[in-house]
Amino acid sequence: MTGDSISILRTVIRTPWHVLLLAGILVTVGSLALYSASEGSWSPWAGRHAVRGAVGAAIMLVLAFVDFRLLRIWAYPLYLASIAVLIVLLGLGAGGSSVARWISIGGFSFQPSEPTKIAVILALARYFDDQPPERLSSILTYLPPIVMIAVPFLLVVEQPDLGTALALVLGSLAIVFVAGIPWRYVLLSIVGVLSALPVLWSQLHPYQKARVMTFLNPEADKLGAGYQITQSKIALGSGGLFGKGFLMGSQSQLNYLPEKQTDFVFTMIGEEFGLVGNLFILGLYLLLIGAIIMISYRVGSRFARLTCVGVAIMIFIYVFVNVAMVTGLLPVVGAPLPLISYGGTAMLTVFVGLGVVTSAVVHDRPEPE
Amino acid sequence: MSKKVKHKISQRVMGRRTMLLGGGMLLVTSFLSGRLYQLQVAQNNRYKRLSDRNQFDQRVVAPQRGRLVDREMRLLAGNAESYMLHITPLYAGNVDEALAQLSTIIKLDEETRADVLARSRKGPSFRPILIRDSLTQRELSRLAIRSAYLPGVTFEKSLRRIYPQGALTGHVTGYVSPVTSREIEDNRALGELPDLATGKIGIEYALEPELRGVPGSERVEVNARGRPIRVFRDYEPQAGKDVRLALDIGLQQHVTEILRRGQSEPVDMATPEVQRAIADNKELKQHLSSGENMLLRDSIGKITAPESGAVVVMDVRTGEILSMVSSPTYDPNIFTERLLTRDWRRLNEHPRNPLLNRVTAGLYAPGSTFKMVVALAAIEAGIINERTRFGCSGSMDLGNATFHCWFEDGHGSVNVVQALERSCDVFFYEVALKTGIQRIKEMAYRLGLGFITGVDIPGEKSGIIPHHDWKLATHGVVWTPGETVVASIGQGYVLTTPLQLAVMTARLANGTKAVVPSLQALDTLPEFAPLDLSPAALRIVRKGMFDVTHGRLGTARAHNLSKGLGGMAGKTGTVQVKRITKEQREAGITKNIERPWKERDHALFVGYAPVKNPRYAVSVVVEHGGSGSSMAAPIAKEALRRALMTEDRA
Repeated sequence: MTGDSISILRTVIRTPWHVLLLAGILVTVGSLALYSASEGSWSPWAGRHAVRGAVGAAIMLVLAFVDFRLLRIWAYPLYLASIAVLIVLLGLGAGGSSVARWISIGGFSFQPSEPTKIAVILALARYFDDQPPERLSSILTYLPPIVMIAVPFLLVVEQPDLGTALALVLGSLAIVFVAGIPWRYVLLSIVGVLSALPVLWSQLHPYQKARVMTFLNPEADKLGAGYQITQSKIALGSGGLFGKGFLMGSQSQLNYLPEKQTDFVFTMIGEEFGLVGNLFILGLYLLLIGAIIMISYRVGSRFARLTCVGVAIMIFIYVFVNVAMVTGLLPVVGAPLPLISYGGTAMLTVFVGLGVVTSAVVHDRPEPE
Repeated sequence: MSKKVKHKISQRVMGRRTMLLGGGMLLVTSFLSGRLYQLQVAQNNRYKRLSDRNQFDQRVVAPQRGRLVDREMRLLAGNAESYMLHITPLYAGNVDEALAQLSTIIKLDEETRADVLARSRKGPSFRPILIRDSLTQRELSRLAIRSAYLPGVTFEKSLRRIYPQGALTGHVTGYVSPVTSREIEDNRALGELPDLATGKIGIEYALEPELRGVPGSERVEVNARGRPIRVFRDYEPQAGKDVRLALDIGLQQHVTEILRRGQSEPVDMATPEVQRAIADNKELKQHLSSGENMLLRDSIGKITAPESGAVVVMDVRTGEILSMVSSPTYDPNIFTERLLTRDWRRLNEHPRNPLLNRVTAGLYAPGSTFKMVVALAAIEAGIINERTRFGCSGSMDLGNATFHCWFEDGHGSVNVVQALERSCDVFFYEVALKTGIQRIKEMAYRLGLGFITGVDIPGEKSGIIPHHDWKLATHGVVWTPGETVVASIGQGYVLTTPLQLAVMTARLANGTKAVVPSLQALDTLPEFAPLDLSPAALRIVRKGMFDVTHGRLGTARAHNLSKGLGGMAGKTGTVQVKRITKEQREAGITKNIERPWKERDHALFVGYAPVKNPRYAVSVVVEHGGSGSSMAAPIAKEALRRALMTEDRA
């Protein structure tokens, strides 16, 4: 009994409360933004967003009690399971014309490609944890990871969800990089990716191509596909240094801005709170990511370190893709702003990621040498 | 190298790489921050201009509401072009000043100004606020000339519902009025159309889904002063369906007039005598202030308001309602815009509730018009036949109670045809006691009483056909034979609407089909359920109704329709509202007309014409109108005459 009490006490003491606090602030900011997105109303988005945030925080704290060594054991099974779900989903989607991105469980729509990211992070961390240091210089060591990354990537591209697929690859490559891949292979893979681009282009769906073309020249089609980017830039730009004020964003409130509750929520914040508001948000993310990276230095095993770095990278890629998209630096690929955008799956994924980090810091501390 | 050393080295590599990655992330973030600075600060002016100017405002376009026409395609509800005036605080600058300037050009009352000002302080400044919803042509041209000096003030065309027949068809059409917050809660899409008007009552409400149509959408390009420059239609709105009603507006007009006049003569409103009468009578004043323009002189010389009540004229073959009059009525046009508190107060203070549709929701004891039901129930059950006679001595004793016939001297020995002709009460007391309330109830149901008819008017009442279980359920006590006696002459608990009485009469006239009323014009004969009345029983009852207008002692013999039009059959009903008190009797008051209006009897008549191959059924209720034979029968006759005279429906 005392052992249990001690482990609970240890969990409570070691839980990185500042990470939870930062996540909480981001969810709160999200709720306020969504309150404004529905013209000053808690329904339909803001209230549910807050509730989901609370549920996410609870999940994170529950994960703190899961022994991190269990995650190491389960890393491969989880990975295989998520691949299986993606395959099943693709099979379901192949029959009908609908896009096979969503799965419905008990009224909740769910995007399985999001939690796949966590599964891939765990599997890669496990893989490099198993490798003795001297094998890191052999090129054969990197063949299995390429397969481990390529399979989910292709499945998600087929859904088709290019944004998530690319985020998945970028995050995975970052883990490989941190694991200690020699620089010569890094250069080699950059060359490889560049030469593969034309092949990838031919595999894209017409609407994805249209988005890329629109991105390259948004002014050409002001009321069509370029509409979103143009409107987003106008909304952001007209916000100025301090913004137009809460609930006063005319672009957003007059419905010029599409998807203002999901992918373009950063734009709406920028219109209402200006550059100051946007930098505040970016600052919050940097603090959160920094905190997780600091944790990665404190944990013991390679598995734990790589997992923490993976989660940090995942969050960063979310933020980067979203902000680059709404500022017109990247094509509109459909990427949410984590913890702020309305949408349950991405938020859940981030909280699960934070939960895994918490579990790592609680259960996997470096043994004193 | 030892394993431990190697491990340490790889840990160090990981630490360096993580650091490198972190540095990369910082670099990328500052790059993003730079991009934000470029958009929000460096190019702020450009985007601000773009934001203020040349914006595409996505708007929902209200569909044109379907029109209502009468059977001859005459307009009952249509759409008139009207101009709405909006102000957008963002462009107007000082709203108070702008309103003050506006009020020198067009009429703007203080209440509206205060309201607009309050709303401009609450909402976001870029949202237009409605100032007036119907500008006159003259106001429009005056505004157009000065529009350059009125930034933020815009006017645009919209359609306003109009009811050209006004009060004449008010109870039929009902009215539309602006969407309420309650409706928006039920259907969020309505919130996108702040200027949409939806049906609140009458046909407008019942047929709302068909009449409304489907909204379209458009994008409006707006300039820096908030003025629309160009409009792009993305989806054309689909107009609602026009609906042709069965109503004949000519007949409606005629019936309204004869009902309102009753047996009195209109007076010249300008004479000093009438003016004095108005000054002395608060009730008359209330009638006049709510739009009444006619006063009457009754048979004893008093100045009174027009009669109130209900008349329905129905086609007995199709169920089409050619006329549906409920008096007093109201002008639906007052509801289509912002309803003035003044108008609303007047409608509510009116002594006779003009908002009540008496045809579908007015509940009246049917009185002697119920006797056909009792007669049919008794004949079909074999209790009586054509030759069965009962003696009427002017009253009947049952236990300790005595039930009177309206004819104190008694009708003597009468059969069922004579009992209907002369409206002998005692005959029906005796018959009802032998038949029982259950059978009477069944027959009433078959003839359409006791249930709503389902006509396209919301708020219809079902009335009451009492029976054993009903009494037990509602009053908790058993049914008594005395109550059967009272019910047999359509009094006591029995309540019906004028529409139900018209349906009953139409079914009696049709003879084979359970006709259902329809306010919409019908192109084909609808399928009705069979009535299943024994032809022999029907023949006897019809003979009785024939004798009411043709017999030597018929209660409505003075008001038969001319032979040329085929004659009329029917039944009178006079419903006691309050007994004449002992004091009144001693003061010599025995006539209805001498009593206060509220205490007088209701006058009813149901009938059909022509006698052979009937075409039209009619039911008339004149509230506190005196007697069925002298007040209701002539109105019924006149309504049927007019319906038959109108050709083209042969």
